[in-house]
Amino acid sequence: MREIDVTVNGERRAVAVEPRLLLSDFLRDVLGLTGTHVGCEHGYCGACTVLVDGASARSCLMLAVQADARNVDTVESLAPDGVDLHPIQQAFKDCHGLQCGFCTPGLLMSVVELAETNPNCTRDEIRAQLAGNFCRCTGYHQIVDSVEQALLTIRRTADAE
Amino acid sequence: MLSEQAPRFVGIPVPRREDDRLLRGNGRFVADLQVPHALAAKFVRSPEAHAEVVGIDVEEAVGAPGVHAVFVGEDFATSEIRCVSRHEGFQESAQPILGIDRARYAGEALAMVVADDEYLAEDAVELVVVEQRCLPPVLTIDDAADPSRPPVHEGWRDNTFIRRQARTAGFDAARSAAAHRLSIELHNARHGATPMESRACLAEFDRATGGFRLYTTTQIPHLIRAGLALALDVPESRIRVISPDVGGGFGVKAQLYPEEVACCLAAQRLRRPVRWIEDRREHFVAAHHSREHRHALTGYFDDTGTILALEADITVDMGAYSVFPWTATMDSGMAMGVLPGPYRIREYSATATPVCTNKTPYGAYRGVARPAACFSIERLMDQVAHHLGIDRVEIRRRNLLRNDDYPWRSASGLVYDSGSLLESLERVLELGDFAGLLRRQVEDRRAGRLFGIGLAVFTEQTAHTTQEFAQRGVPIVFGYETARVRLDASGTAVVSASIHDHGQGLETTLAQIAAERLGIALDQVRVEYGDTDQVAYGAGTFASRSAVLAGGAVTRAADAVAEVLRKVAAHNLEAAFADMVIGPGRVSVVGDPSRFIETRELCRLVYQRPERLPRDVEPLLEASKTYDAAPGTGAYTNAAHLASVEIDTLTGKTKVLSYAVVEDCGPMINPTIVEGQIFGGVAQGIGTALFEEFLYDEAGQPLSTTFADYLIPAMGDIPDFAVAHLQTPSPHTIGGIKGMGEGGAIAPGAVIASAVEDALSHLGTVIVDALPLTPERVLAYLDEARNQGRAA
Repeated sequence: MREIDVTVNGERRAVAVEPRLLLSDFLRDVLGLTGTHVGCEHGYCGACTVLVDGASARSCLMLAVQADARNVDTVESLAPDGVDLHPIQQAFKDCHGLQCGFCTPGLLMSVVELAETNPNCTRDEIRAQLAGNFCRCTGYHQIVDSVEQALLTIRRTADAE
Repeated sequence: MLSEQAPRFVGIPVPRREDDRLLRGNGRFVADLQVPHALAAKFVRSPEAHAEVVGIDVEEAVGAPGVHAVFVGEDFATSEIRCVSRHEGFQESAQPILGIDRARYAGEALAMVVADDEYLAEDAVELVVVEQRCLPPVLTIDDAADPSRPPVHEGWRDNTFIRRQARTAGFDAARSAAAHRLSIELHNARHGATPMESRACLAEFDRATGGFRLYTTTQIPHLIRAGLALALDVPESRIRVISPDVGGGFGVKAQLYPEEVACCLAAQRLRRPVRWIEDRREHFVAAHHSREHRHALTGYFDDTGTILALEADITVDMGAYSVFPWTATMDSGMAMGVLPGPYRIREYSATATPVCTNKTPYGAYRGVARPAACFSIERLMDQVAHHLGIDRVEIRRRNLLRNDDYPWRSASGLVYDSGSLLESLERVLELGDFAGLLRRQVEDRRAGRLFGIGLAVFTEQTAHTTQEFAQRGVPIVFGYETARVRLDASGTAVVSASIHDHGQGLETTLAQIAAERLGIALDQVRVEYGDTDQVAYGAGTFASRSAVLAGGAVTRAADAVAEVLRKVAAHNLEAAFADMVIGPGRVSVVGDPSRFIETRELCRLVYQRPERLPRDVEPLLEASKTYDAAPGTGAYTNAAHLASVEIDTLTGKTKVLSYAVVEDCGPMINPTIVEGQIFGGVAQGIGTALFEEFLYDEAGQPLSTTFADYLIPAMGDIPDFAVAHLQTPSPHTIGGIKGMGEGGAIAPGAVIASAVEDALSHLGTVIVDALPLTPERVLAYLDEARNQGRAA
């Protein structure tokens, strides 16, 4: 077991973990943050995407010990219970950007990163940027609609401020 | 009886009720459940495709850290999965829970390790030693027909589950009279649903009652309970199956699996909850595969291109076992029924042969045989058009059913209730800008680019019930669905249904129906599903039937509850029952809206002031109803798809540039959800057309075991879609609605194949006859077209 000190969704957690414990299993089974889903365990599907120090990462390809002394943000950080949906979540709801909802948390975290890095992207750029997040239900059209709307809302809010 | 002021929810694209919890990460999937004292299971799977199991050495694994037990085949030998068709001549397979003396596919579970957690269980799996003696594997449809290969199941006469034939009385005469005939053979690769959530289950055994509770990723909770009752030899009343949020199904989660039985048995033996979470590699080799069809077709037609007769030899590679609850006849029987498709084909002869091989068993996947059947008949239409020098659109105009043909009894005996085939074809040509695509093709060809246009038209049998499934010979006939509607003393409703929602939005659409029928606000309705203790029976979600059948059951149950409200209101308003109308939020006297009682108050009266009820009314606002959509032959949705593609001449990669759909599923409950279902289906169909294939080597080793080997469409592979709707109501269903969940996935294989063939057509003649159109395959077609062009 090894002590790690990791900040998850703004909260510091000092926990002893097995060195081989995956970050995804740490979040889900140790911290009970089951919003992060595991779709393939080999880094392809993107369902387990979280932000590590603000950059998207596959939590199934990282060990919990690698998150030591770092900030990890999961889907649960976007809109705590009782708080209105984050603009990205709201856009997904408005545009029917999800069906079964299994891939959604990882996708949302990728969109958070996209909104930071390329808030003006076109539909084609959205498709290219998010090609690492598989969805088997939606056929992607309404996801692209959702992301377009979310980026628009975020840009307008930024302009207003 | 609804008041004119009552709010209408059906037909409106309301946002989904389930989205908030899913978006916040508050979904509750099986792998999310945290149950005290639960142990983790992992399976040891056969490395060989066909082998005698000589011995399994578990000694070292049993002693490994954290291991509670290692089970082998003999431990669970009293249970098995056996699904026998009622059709005569069916050869039965018995699927063991853990293979005993034989392994029949690579990936078949042979032992089960139960440990404190998944990590320790996986460690111990590595310590189990399986000794096998290899047998010659049966790996293809041709192998299955080869008498020198051993039978997959001891005692079988050959490697076919069954062979069925049908022929119309006038077939021979029509064949003889036809001026032309054309034969093609078409191949669909083995692939599968591949939802983003793999399978998972968690079994608990209650020592006090001797009962089981199984949380599992299933689309069909009641049928899983029925299957477990058989496999475990326990009455259904002692089994509760719960299917919470499920991360996509598409058919692969609509079968009973050995792992579900194994977890129940292990929980019983160990007296601890046992959970199993399938990893992706297991999913590729042990979750059921689909779609592997070979169709040999001959069309007989006259000089105008009118099809006079159709002959089909259908073979489906069903893998190693007949699956519960469908049997191994599901795909071949469906293909035999739907092959004539949307055309006026009166004479038909077909044989259907599901064969048994040493590959993963074969289950349902969105569309079940309809994608392969659509591929075949549409490919044939294109070839007939080419043969006679008729335009691809024109050949369809000449052969499609016309609106006054309905009801149409197909040559295979299906009864098409209604539709708008010609109109959908004409509309899609506009929507997809067929004229513009043709102009672009001329320009692209001048510039040396390969640009092709494809189209397909189809009917989708949906909401078929008792009569249809009884004919199919399944042991359990899937007719009706069940719903229970209950109003509580606060005036809010709980709708419980026997279907399951894993993305289809039924949590919202059933609420729309209930709210409208009860005249209450949408947010006053909660929809529950996926728990066998909530409603008596039902089949679940598959075959594009939940909106029609559960929707119908909810309508009937809500109306029964509304009738009680009207009786109580009439009694307390001293008015006539017949004058009582429902909603908004009240029951009022027709023509006198000032005389009303709020629904909420009526609910309170029923439960808390029983002295104010009329003598013939019980203090209960609850009704359970079923719905079967008589006569059971189905409500037929139809659609036309039009797409364009570009082929990279260097790499052979095909890119879909545009995709248009005109679909007619009758009146829509929620148009946004309908469009989401279409888009999702089309994207899966593009996967079928271009990417997806479970490959095996010559020893039967699966080669597609990661998302790096098995490609599903990513966001950049799919274009924006154009969609438009026609709305022809079904004469058979409540509200005239038709199912549509599978439709999107049916046509893309045919459409993309037609487009690729069109892209090559100016180089030379080539028949695109196999899917998926991987770069390798497309380059081969390109070479063939060039060679043919040079020779010609």
